[in-house]
Amino acid sequence: MRSRGRTRLIVAIVVTLVFIAPIYLMLVNAFKTGDQIRANPVAPPLPPTLENLTTALTRPDNLIPLGLRNSLIVVVCSVALLIPLGSAFSFYISRRRGRVRAVILAALAAGLMIPPQVILLPTIQILTWLGLDHSYPGLILSNLGGGYLSFAVFVYVGFMRSVPDEIVQAARMDGAGGLRIWWQIVMPLVRPATATVAIFLSLWIWNDFLNPLFILGPLQGQTITTGLYLTIGQYSVDYGQLFGIMFLAGVLPVIGYLTVQKQFIAGLTAGSTK
Amino acid sequence: MFSRKSRADGGLALLAALALGLYLIFLVLPLLLSLRSSFTNENPLRATNEFIGLRNYREMASDVQLRDSLVFTLTLAVGVTLAANALGVAFAILLNRTHLSYRVMRTLAFLPQVLSGVIVGFVWQTILTQDGLLNNVLTSVGLLDEPYPWLGSPRAALVSIGVVLTWVLSGFTTVVYLAALQSVPIELNDMATMDGVRGTQRFRKVTWPMIAPGTTISVTISLITVLKLYDIIAVLTGGGPANSTQSTALYIVRLAFTSDRLGYASAVAMLLLALSAVVALAVTGALRRREVTL
Repeated sequence: MRSRGRTRLIVAIVVTLVFIAPIYLMLVNAFKTGDQIRANPVAPPLPPTLENLTTALTRPDNLIPLGLRNSLIVVVCSVALLIPLGSAFSFYISRRRGRVRAVILAALAAGLMIPPQVILLPTIQILTWLGLDHSYPGLILSNLGGGYLSFAVFVYVGFMRSVPDEIVQAARMDGAGGLRIWWQIVMPLVRPATATVAIFLSLWIWNDFLNPLFILGPLQGQTITTGLYLTIGQYSVDYGQLFGIMFLAGVLPVIGYLTVQKQFIAGLTAGSTK
Repeated sequence: MFSRKSRADGGLALLAALALGLYLIFLVLPLLLSLRSSFTNENPLRATNEFIGLRNYREMASDVQLRDSLVFTLTLAVGVTLAANALGVAFAILLNRTHLSYRVMRTLAFLPQVLSGVIVGFVWQTILTQDGLLNNVLTSVGLLDEPYPWLGSPRAALVSIGVVLTWVLSGFTTVVYLAALQSVPIELNDMATMDGVRGTQRFRKVTWPMIAPGTTISVTISLITVLKLYDIIAVLTGGGPANSTQSTALYIVRLAFTSDRLGYASAVAMLLLALSAVVALAVTGALRRREVTL
């Protein structure tokens, strides 16, 4: 029995190593010189060099610092607004009659399914009418109304159903209004939902590509994903430089994921088994 | 009761109305505008914007590029969904242990999902391109005499993109199937063991039926993800060689932003939307029925 367990562990480790090989390549080659990469792309970085990273960080176009800053602005503003909007909406409809709730939820489900290419053009048109095209407020505003809101509402409604009605009634008896009950009583009770929403929306908005590419356009500076995309061509030969840029662009979401991975998996688990 | 409306409820209703308003303006309205545009010859370059009835839809019937893009997209969607879900189930069964080393491996298995499509496309391009890392390794150990064009021929590019997408989606399917496996009651497994049910029979009779809800969500999301995928293909091949990996999503963006044919692009977008809706509803419907009958 023990040897079977050991075989299983070895198989699992080998499979996992093969599976994450591309990420390993990205990691080790970021710390190797171009010659070292060409000589043996699979070897560990011995001795490691920080040259790729410093070159990437000190590029004259400021690709990495600017991109990270812009992405951070878009993510923080979008998520900070999506959480109150999504949870207030969910609390409001979770106290409505079953039929009304079902209809609204069905309409929101469409938002999760619609390919972004379908609504991209008219969204830019609407932002132009509002005078917000090619701007960060425009990009953030369009994030608030799309599928991200649907996702937030679905997560919150699931959790809010399990908030006992008696708690809400009791607060009401004490004279608390809807806003106060939502913010001071319900929100603390659905903290796991807020964690799930914040984690997934941050990741998706951070990695978003099509919307920033076309809504911001080339003149407004780039998020980290679009900046990376638009600079690809220039470095097709210089692998060292390329891996340095990719490492810096990818390291934040990976650190974020590893830090909160417990809640991450828990959120995914709750969502997929409900 | 909420029916006794107090003035203090106004604030909450206002916030909820704001959320609904944003959804209407940035999702429902664009959808309607896109539908309307699909009946026009809207083209900012030629400054045309007239109603032309169903002409765009008739044009789609004879559009070879569209047909090729649909064949490519559907082939990719079916292939990747099957591969990613098979791998996900296998990986989940393999990693379904509580020991620390297994928990570390589960964390690592999800990593491809964390990276943006642009980075994923980028890393794989450095691996698969003509003078890339894969050819470098294969030729230096003597498995290949000369570099193989992994992204250079239509068929190789299709398979390469399929492998990359399977890699990305497997991270997701593995976690979903692990969650499903962990919801299988321990008593059921014990009973199966006592009755001497093992191996493939145990998988068919016990495990597979029990993870049915996981299959529904995992298959649906895999299909939808491939149908709307843009970034990974844009980086890996840009639709080439010779448009052979131009998915319908890529074709729409090209029609709209390169050819300025907004009306026709909207019509193709409506087709992609209908396709996504049909696929999602049909697959969820069929798999849910299976959940019930099992």
